Amino acid sequence: MNSATPALARGCRFRRSANSAGTLLVPEGVVELNSSASAIVELIDGKRTVEEITLELSERTALDLQSMSSDVQTLLQRLAAKCWLVVGDKAALP
Amino acid sequence: MIVDAIKAVECRPLSLLAELTYRCNLQCPYCYNPLDLGSYARELDVETWARVLDEAAAMGIVHVHFSGGEPTLRPRELCALVSHARSKELYTNLITQGTFLTDALLDELLSAGLDHVQISVQAAHAALADYIAGTRVHEKKAEVLRRVASRDVALTLNCVLHRHNIDEVADIIAFAETIGVKRLELANTQFYGWAFKNRFAIVPSRAQVERARTTIDLARERLRGRMEITHVLADYYELFPKPCMNGWARQFLTVAPDGRVFPCPAAAAITSLHFDAVTDASLEWIWSHSEAFNAYRGTSWMPEPCRSCARREVDWGGCRCQAFLLTGDAAVTDPACSLSPRRDAIEALRVEDEHPAVDPRENGFVPRRFQRQPVP
Ligand code: SF4
Ligand code: SF4
Repeated sequence: MNSATPALARGCRFRRSANSAGTLLVPEGVVELNSSASAIVELIDGKRTVEEITLELSERTALDLQSMSSDVQTLLQRLAAKCWLVVGDKAALP
Repeated sequence: MIVDAIKAVECRPLSLLAELTYRCNLQCPYCYNPLDLGSYARELDVETWARVLDEAAAMGIVHVHFSGGEPTLRPRELCALVSHARSKELYTNLITQGTFLTDALLDELLSAGLDHVQISVQAAHAALADYIAGTRVHEKKAEVLRRVASRDVALTLNCVLHRHNIDEVADIIAFAETIGVKRLELANTQFYGWAFKNRFAIVPSRAQVERARTTIDLARERLRGRMEITHVLADYYELFPKPCMNGWARQFLTVAPDGRVFPCPAAAAITSLHFDAVTDASLEWIWSHSEAFNAYRGTSWMPEPCRSCARREVDWGGCRCQAFLLTGDAAVTDPACSLSPRRDAIEALRVEDEHPAVDPRENGFVPRRFQRQPVP
């Protein structure tokens, strides 16, 4: 598990849409997120650790911890690769 | 599935370019602004702009880019409009050449809620940059960039690449690293407005474009996760044209300083179309019903070879402005397409290998100038 505390990078904002999904507003773009991605992004606040986000969502959705963990990691890695994420804790994303 | 969760939104108005003024203290030869700058001297007032933003938000537009010309030449209006846009939940971006971004103006813009600043430089080193800008600005820009990078706002560095600076693209990337920007946009020059007038003086050669592509690709790999590098290719050396604006009137609106609304920032050049203004109609009406917005929307306007082409919803037949400027007809396949019967028009622009020592087509820069004309 992971003690890194991810935060959205400057210039990136999450905006919830009318349905359960949301959009991530980024410089020069709009990223439409489905409901599971939205649930993850909404918890990214620079305070919660990756582990806490995973636990919280796993409890909320009854998805087993391992699948939830891999979903969270995948999304975080994709956001980080686009420079939309900064990781507070020095521990790098796996 | 999470992996499919990130996809681009399409087919609705998403983005508004708000050109507050065409005045600018620089004279970039690649500026896409129209040649008749003086005829835009009468500028929309702040109340009208605020109404335009209200209408944009109601239409579902997400991003508003404040641009020009140089938008910070209207600092009071700019701050008021950033704050107004944020109150409507719009994402706010400032596109500037940066020379007027004092700490005081930055403070005010940030407290108004500005999300993102894009600052352009002309080259990596002062001598060349100032030559291109037509005035001494580079040192000042570097200082402004360092200040903005230390503030709580997203920053993109932008540089237009052309014949005179493309060979130092590695230095431009290094400059961006020194400043510590997270996003770098390297855009090959396109040929609209002043850039069209200067096209033979600024067109890079194919060899230059290829070298730059290799340099940029390597840097992008090296900097992955630290700096995002956007590279806007030169479609005049490609087989197919760029999907200009993601299709005419599909996602973008530009409101010019005089209030006229365009599907693309260069479209004023298409003199065969009439463009309505926000002073005469609502943004929503112009988007949905105006003649200009419907003229080349979708695929039904297309002639052959686009009409029966498998790529017609990939590149939307290319750029209408480029078609008009190069052939005099906006309703033909973009000459940048290798299937275009008028590809000779793009071939006449190309420099296939290296630039000849003396290019008979080249006359030096015509610097972008704002000719003052009496306001009617
Ligand atoms: S391209 Fe250059 S001249 Fe044109 S508006 Fe931008 S900074 Fe000014
Ligand atoms: S023929 Fe038209 S649609 Fe086909 S690739 Fe060329 S520009 Fe695009």
